[in-house]
Amino acid sequence: MKERYIPILTVIIAIAGFSFITFLYWTEPRTFSEVSSKGQVVLGTYDIDRTAFDEGLANFRRDEFPAARAAFDRADPQKRDAITQFYTAYSYYRQGWGRVSNDDAMFRAGVEAVDRVIAIEPNFRIADETLQMKTPYEVKAELEEGLKLTLSDFNPMRLTRERK
Amino acid sequence: MTDEHEHIIDVTETDEIQVPDGARGGDLAVTGNRSIAAVPSAAPTYILLPIIFLAVTLLGGMRLGAVDNSFIFLKPALICLVFAAVTLVLFFRSGLISVEGWLSETNPPLRNAANAAVLLTMFAATVQLFNALLPEQGLPFWIVGFCFFWTLWNNLFAEFDSKRLLRSLGALFGLAFVVKYLVLANLTAPTGASWLQRMIENPGREAFTWLLDLPRYSPGTGYIQFFTLALYLIGLYLTPTTTKK
Repeated sequence: MKERYIPILTVIIAIAGFSFITFLYWTEPRTFSEVSSKGQVVLGTYDIDRTAFDEGLANFRRDEFPAARAAFDRADPQKRDAITQFYTAYSYYRQGWGRVSNDDAMFRAGVEAVDRVIAIEPNFRIADETLQMKTPYEVKAELEEGLKLTLSDFNPMRLTRERK
Repeated sequence: MTDEHEHIIDVTETDEIQVPDGARGGDLAVTGNRSIAAVPSAAPTYILLPIIFLAVTLLGGMRLGAVDNSFIFLKPALICLVFAAVTLVLFFRSGLISVEGWLSETNPPLRNAANAAVLLTMFAATVQLFNALLPEQGLPFWIVGFCFFWTLWNNLFAEFDSKRLLRSLGALFGLAFVVKYLVLANLTAPTGASWLQRMIENPGREAFTWLLDLPRYSPGTGYIQFFTLALYLIGLYLTPTTTKK
């Protein structure tokens, strides 16, 4: 290599090295596979795993919610896809819903998931006709309502309500 | 003595130094309190040094989780930047690095940029080395931090050459490594099923972990940080006083 190119190479090494280190300390990946997926997010080439998503959707429709969420997590490890996160939030709602009382832990996790949907795509609307709630705001309102303890919770007519 | 060391120059009588061809970067000729570096060859200084210091920068804040060995990247505390800045001032004062020899208006701009990049990687590596050696939190952080501060502050006003500085820093970093990764790591209780079970199995270590606020990391962390410290010292050894020919 010609000696005059060496200083250029030094500057390139330093810039590339600092960029990579900043990326690692900024995104804090926990495994080598996360380094790859977080790298795809930064580069804008991130996409979900379609096979895992379809598997998750099939489990969701069979009311197998833990299995559905596991598949959704595999499909969208970086939690960057609005559709996957919407189904994740919806799965928390459906699993946590009870005719007499709701599972607060499930509903709180659902609120976290639906907040991610709003952050990713504020105007998100799902095209799935099998779901009664189409927007993250409807899901969030339902989840937050379920977490509150109000006088209406003691209304016996609540026993006739249906899960959405 | 190796052939390489035979190139070391004695500068007792003369200020003008003629450096033999083939002398390796980082070779130091020390007479009394003076130290002069041989002319560095370009590859170790401009390729190897930044890679070594970047590796130290990467690994210095890295820990492995106790449960699943997952990566944990810890950003350096503000005090690490202060310590690193003082350490670099010490390098300049002791003559380990000559400012004129690295950054000079007589150098071509590109060479100055490359030299600045190498010095920047050295600064970042020093920050991360302190990040690696300082305990993360609690009482040990303040005690070890104070020891670092005391030593560096004293060194700042002491008269010494680069060899003594390297010995002093080697001893300081070595002791800090022993304290953190041998003494404190052995006082940290392993992760267990429940708090009660851990208290029954390791009451002393559990008490120390709670009292000293010790974080639980995988034993692999110590190996990584030993490698990081060794790499940093190798980097310092390879750093020439000047890059001028």
